[in-house]
Amino acid sequence: MDKAITAPKAKSKKRKAKDQSFKYFLLVAPFLVLVFIFSYLPLYGWSYAFFDYRPPLKLSQCEFVGWKWFKYLFGNPMQIKQLINVLKNTFAMSGLGILTSVLPLAFAVFLNEIKCKWFKKLVQTLTTIPNFISWILVYSVAFSLFSSSGMVNHVLQDLGITTDAIKFLESDSHTWITMMLWGLWKGLGWGAIMYLAALAGADQEQYEAARVDGAGRFKLMWHITVPQLLPTYFVLLMMSIANFLSNGMEQYFIFSNSFNMQHIQVLDLYIYKISMGSASFSLGTALSMMKSIISVTLLWVVNTLSKVFRGESII
Amino acid sequence: MRKMKASRIISLLLVLVMVFSLVGCKKDSSDSKGDKKGSTGTTTDANGNKKYDKFITVDVFATEANNQGTQPGWFAKIVKDKFNMELNIIAPNVAGGGDTLFQTRSAAGDLGDLVIIGSDGDKLKDVVNAGLLTDMSDMIKTRKNVSQYTAAIENAQKIAGKDGVWAIPKSVSSQPATNPSESGEPTFGPYLRYDVYQKAGSPDINTLEDLIPVLKKMQDASPKSDSGKKTYAMSLFKDWDGNMMNNAKQPTCYYGYDEMGFVLSKADGSDDQSIIDSNSQYIRSLKLFYSANQAGILDPDSATQNYDTLSNKYKDGAVLFSFWPWQGQSLYNSADNTKAGKGFMLVPIKDQKIFSYGCKPAGDKVVVGIGSKAEDPERLMDFIDWMYSTEGIEILSGAGIKGLTWDVNAEGKPELTDYGMKAQYDQNVDQTVPDEFGGGTYREGVSWLNFTPVVASDTDPTTKAPYSYALWDSTIAARATTLTKAWQDQYKAKDTFTYLKDNNQLLVAPGTSYVVTNTSSDIEALRNQCKTVIIDYSWKMIFAKNEKEFNSLLKDMQDTVNGLGYKDVLKFDLKCAKEQTAARQAAAAEATK
Repeated sequence: MDKAITAPKAKSKKRKAKDQSFKYFLLVAPFLVLVFIFSYLPLYGWSYAFFDYRPPLKLSQCEFVGWKWFKYLFGNPMQIKQLINVLKNTFAMSGLGILTSVLPLAFAVFLNEIKCKWFKKLVQTLTTIPNFISWILVYSVAFSLFSSSGMVNHVLQDLGITTDAIKFLESDSHTWITMMLWGLWKGLGWGAIMYLAALAGADQEQYEAARVDGAGRFKLMWHITVPQLLPTYFVLLMMSIANFLSNGMEQYFIFSNSFNMQHIQVLDLYIYKISMGSASFSLGTALSMMKSIISVTLLWVVNTLSKVFRGESII
Repeated sequence: MRKMKASRIISLLLVLVMVFSLVGCKKDSSDSKGDKKGSTGTTTDANGNKKYDKFITVDVFATEANNQGTQPGWFAKIVKDKFNMELNIIAPNVAGGGDTLFQTRSAAGDLGDLVIIGSDGDKLKDVVNAGLLTDMSDMIKTRKNVSQYTAAIENAQKIAGKDGVWAIPKSVSSQPATNPSESGEPTFGPYLRYDVYQKAGSPDINTLEDLIPVLKKMQDASPKSDSGKKTYAMSLFKDWDGNMMNNAKQPTCYYGYDEMGFVLSKADGSDDQSIIDSNSQYIRSLKLFYSANQAGILDPDSATQNYDTLSNKYKDGAVLFSFWPWQGQSLYNSADNTKAGKGFMLVPIKDQKIFSYGCKPAGDKVVVGIGSKAEDPERLMDFIDWMYSTEGIEILSGAGIKGLTWDVNAEGKPELTDYGMKAQYDQNVDQTVPDEFGGGTYREGVSWLNFTPVVASDTDPTTKAPYSYALWDSTIAARATTLTKAWQDQYKAKDTFTYLKDNNQLLVAPGTSYVVTNTSSDIEALRNQCKTVIIDYSWKMIFAKNEKEFNSLLKDMQDTVNGLGYKDVLKFDLKCAKEQTAARQAAAAEATK
């Protein structure tokens, strides 16, 4: 008797739960569709890597060539040498980026120490603004300052320090460092925002307790502020390692010229130049496919490391 | 409460953003076929019947156009009056990025209603195979102007590799293939600031390398530009670099060479050289620029500036050497400057053999066709037919509108009017056009298509004179200035072409309609990799610190491209160069028959 009564109840409960979960599914569905459209559908484009694609023709009119373009990339020692050089630049730029990733953290910590509110706001705004300036404009500023007929050269020549124009932009000396500095100028304030947000939620009691214990300003920063920021820092660090190969191309594209190409050509720029710049779309696709595979592998490695050392995974 | 409100507003905003960003994806159909401008203007044909009721906007994919957007001014008025349509010019030259625009548009399946493209490198063939062009075979039968160019039409058909009339070549000519196609001035030539050259004592220039000391003297003689800026004898730019550094190719043309991929092929077929050979003409040019830099007469901005920046320097008189007459002369030789005796003129190098493009009876490689999705192909066919009519040629290849810029004088010869003289030659004044001709200024109203149906030096059947006003005796007489007189006195010749012909310093490449076909994607991928290496190293070599660095960079460049597989590309290019030479010889034989 009892059973007979409870069974339909459980069933209806189950159905209710089912309805509920369907409702939830409907809620996420639009986002799943968006993710599918924008992240998975484009993968269809990978098929171009296996054809001999020439734009006016449809893909069906082009010859199927299998792994030809992948083989082409490793076809002779010079190709491999070029690829290695490109990877070296990519690793150097990303590596420098990761090395300097503590700077936004330090900046946020120091900024947090400023007690004068309006000044703090001012500094924060001024350092965030460069992030919203496109690289094209950054370059035009760089150009009017540092070109052979730019302001710096004018000043140097007028003061009689130099006679001939110094070519700042058309030189290959310290390309990696200068690129890092430009990137830092543009991204420092923006990078600090995440940490400032984390600090806003910091536990004030800890500070008070430490002060009672006699901790000075730097002790507070070092023992309380920094540890609070470290989890955020590590998540950001992991993400940037997963993005190791994609350090963007706008900056390098706009700053590149015949003179610094040897050290500025990163993987993204190389792919752009091959596919868009010289119409070898299939070859470019093959190259970017390999990049995706390496990126996923890197992410997996970092995630495993995170699991082992920190006990938590990031994805 | 306040918080909730804020979050509501934000979520609402986000939803709006999403909706609008998706709306942006919707294909804007009204844009391309724009019949949005309801028009009352109708056009009547010769019999007074209404011919084109509906006003249409025609998208023109114009490979050679240097302006983008709706064609304005007097040419727009002609097109509107005759065909009740307007031209929306899509210009890859303005968009930049080489062939990218062609590729993206053609991949999307619609290049435009009217299509002007180069037929080389299998482009025409691919476009026809992809079904982007309309077959004009039936339509063309009733169009008497354009259908008379049978050789050109057949040749384009052969290149397309498919039965049907798909495209019609530009710059068709009825002159023999051994006649130079240029009028007045050659395409290439060492043009110097003639006044400064005289100031420097008119030193002899026996060979290319003598330019350096001469230019050095000239720079010393004129250290400041018209506005007081520092002068550099030579200034380069990088925008046009293709298979090689464009500027470094130009001096090779002074010795009769022109490029065919990585090969420099001599006009008479006597020599084909690989550009990277240490003793090639190309490396010789690089060495010339290197010496110029060492001598302090090369503009340090060279590697970063573009053509427009350089143009401003020319206008200001800050550069003393030009590779081409259409650069130095057209930018600096204004009425005021030439009157004062200042301007660019050809100063011959004694051993030069300037390359000249012969007339092409079967037309150029650039062709015009009708897009397969065009709204009104018949009307576009009429338009093409009109371009090849006498009036069309006069307007597009010649002096412009009869009655405004030119007219026939009392002796029955064509002559530029005062208005036309200023419109064509004086860069400082842009004259307004009378309203009856469409208003606006003259120069902005010139056809943006940049399409010359027939070579300008051909004869106009109605005036019995060349289409090109530069060749009319009346123009040459009217153009005599202090500058040209001084030049004529020194070189004892009427004009540049006469001088070059008299002194056997011109090498005409017989005009053929040869285009490169059967390119393979392997070769193209390799070519693209090699050419970036070649261009990058070329620029580095010019600015090398010393001879040793120059040579070691040269060696690096040769090793790199050879390692990449340069030889395969070279083999293909040499084959094409040989084919082109054979075609030239055949054309020359045909011409002398």
